[in-house]
Amino acid sequence: MPLTPPQLEALRALLDRLIPVDEFPGALATGTDQFILQLLTHTCAVEAPAIAQSLTHLDAEASARHDQPFAALPTAAQDALISDLEHNRTATPWPATFPAAAFINRLIDLTAEGFYADPANGGNRDGASWRMIGYDPLLPARPSAP
Amino acid sequence: MSTADSTYDVIIVGAGLGGGIAAGVLAEAGQRVLLLERGRDLRYRDIPGDHLRHHRLSLYGDNTTQEPAGHPRVFVDPEGRSRTVFPHEADYHNNALTVGGGARIWGMQAWRFHPDDFRMASRYGTPAGSSLADWPISYADLAPFYERAEHEVGVAGDHTATDYAPRDRAFPLPPVPATPTGAWLARGAATLGWNAFTPPLAVNTTPYLGRAACVQCRQCIGFACPTDARNGSHNTLLPRALATGRCTLITRAHVARVLTDASGRAHGVEYFAPTAPNSAQTERRIAHATTIILAGGAIETARLLLLSASPQHPRGLGNHSDHVGRHLQGHYYPVVSGLLPAGFQNPNHGPGVSIATTQFNHGNPGIIGGAMLANDFVKLPIIFWRSHLPPDLPRWGSANKKAMRELYLRGIDLRGPVQEIPSPNSRVTLDPQVRDRFGLPVARLSGTTHPETLRTAEFIRARAEDWLRAAGAERVWSSPMDLRLSASQHQAGTARLAADPRDGVTDPFGRVHGHDNLWITDGSLHVTNGGFNPALTIMALAFRAAAKIAATT
Repeated sequence: MPLTPPQLEALRALLDRLIPVDEFPGALATGTDQFILQLLTHTCAVEAPAIAQSLTHLDAEASARHDQPFAALPTAAQDALISDLEHNRTATPWPATFPAAAFINRLIDLTAEGFYADPANGGNRDGASWRMIGYDPLLPARPSAP
Repeated sequence: MSTADSTYDVIIVGAGLGGGIAAGVLAEAGQRVLLLERGRDLRYRDIPGDHLRHHRLSLYGDNTTQEPAGHPRVFVDPEGRSRTVFPHEADYHNNALTVGGGARIWGMQAWRFHPDDFRMASRYGTPAGSSLADWPISYADLAPFYERAEHEVGVAGDHTATDYAPRDRAFPLPPVPATPTGAWLARGAATLGWNAFTPPLAVNTTPYLGRAACVQCRQCIGFACPTDARNGSHNTLLPRALATGRCTLITRAHVARVLTDASGRAHGVEYFAPTAPNSAQTERRIAHATTIILAGGAIETARLLLLSASPQHPRGLGNHSDHVGRHLQGHYYPVVSGLLPAGFQNPNHGPGVSIATTQFNHGNPGIIGGAMLANDFVKLPIIFWRSHLPPDLPRWGSANKKAMRELYLRGIDLRGPVQEIPSPNSRVTLDPQVRDRFGLPVARLSGTTHPETLRTAEFIRARAEDWLRAAGAERVWSSPMDLRLSASQHQAGTARLAADPRDGVTDPFGRVHGHDNLWITDGSLHVTNGGFNPALTIMALAFRAAAKIAATT
């Protein structure tokens, strides 16, 4: 596990805003957190420390503004904070090597990758996002290729 | 060094399109062929359907590279900064590493070049700083071999519509079925007075050569074909070669150098291969042959010529005039996105490419060359999310999710392979520091295409926008392109054909000048790369070279 429990809680809360639930399931209900954790544990392990540290910064940023960690904020406050991060508008210091905008853009990408890629990657459970948008790979049940 | 040492009539380096075709023609002509391939003989189940690791989106790897860490390259950016790159990165300029090569996962567009693609310098002049030149052969020289490729590999198309290049025979397979988006684009082209038609695809639209027809799935380009309906040398000429009993295929074989004698004659290759088919242990081997053919793609073939330097050829084989590795080119692809009108129900039939125009390949005022334009493959959802949502949309949140839901089936885009104006400074050299797992210097890629390429690309981008607007797209958008190195899956130009040894690397058949029995059958030969996908031209040149070798040895 590349994240501490508070970092994991912040990650899940963030995913829940990046692709929220509406009439269709969002990132959290379809396993995108598992997709990201798996990637940070294996293929992208080199990125894990910076992302973990940024999740701690996210909570610090939330606390500086609202005296609460990110996961405890109302959704409107969470969304406002995410918008500010996209523009590097921060109330607390973020590392110059991985500024707030770089962090949030990476998380936006990772969340979409988990949510819209094939379910075998760990997100998009049961192809939920594909059903939502009208995509089916239509692969034959029994491939005849050698 | 291992004592394993064997003698053949022909050694072929690389079992992609060009190597597989040469193997088939020569084995059937009675020659004993050793075919060396660095990848494995991947089966359908060995090439994962991973939407994040395939040959159109290789974020974290790709689905054919087996040893990503052992074979890096070095990329030098336009500012001169170099860095080590790995196969899944764009700057590696990868192609599929497997028996069959790129054709295992390709988009199957099987175009003949335009007759004027062979005479670009004569038609347009040579811009300062570019290495734009005529081919030493004409369309008519290649036409019979285009026809062979279309019939022996299998191309589906509409011979009544593809009139830019004269042909003697119809395609062996009927064109891919028309699609609703294709019909919508056809109406747009008609209002502009453009000729648009179903493009030629190397796919079994009906059962052909003993294999099944395409089932129109939506996971096509970048992945292996579930019904083996996608055609290449791997399921045509290569099986024919193996069926003769005269072709030995060795996979995971890495050729280190071509061996030449003092006269320049190539007599063999030195290579590394597993001690047993599934072993992780490798051994160094020597094989000898009367004829050596290189078909590793424009980057690795150039690297091998350079790695094969000898006291008599200190700058590398065929490099007497300093052309080996230069003129590296691929295609610039302007992409224009738009939205189908609200309420348009796009059934997204695979493969997806169903309409094209060759209206702008040549004859564009003030522009050198041009490109074919076509619609694209069925988009994977994650690719649509990354690259085809309207640019002013938020990248996250409810609005983004809602847009994916409402716009995914309304996405439409056009793109075309812009014929590049080659630069001698876009090149492959040997890196002075970085080595592969066998201790050999890796390919170093540097330079950019010539700036004229950008002018042509911008012209083509504007025409693609015209087309979508005329068809009635609700919105149309695209981005300008930057000057950069271009190679990738369409890599070409690094050992170009030339009648005069001062102007290139090989003679007009693909035989390396100064080395009578050393041949090339891949995109390296292309003097220019056409305003079309280059695969059918690679195949035609391979049929032509192999026929010449069979007739003379």
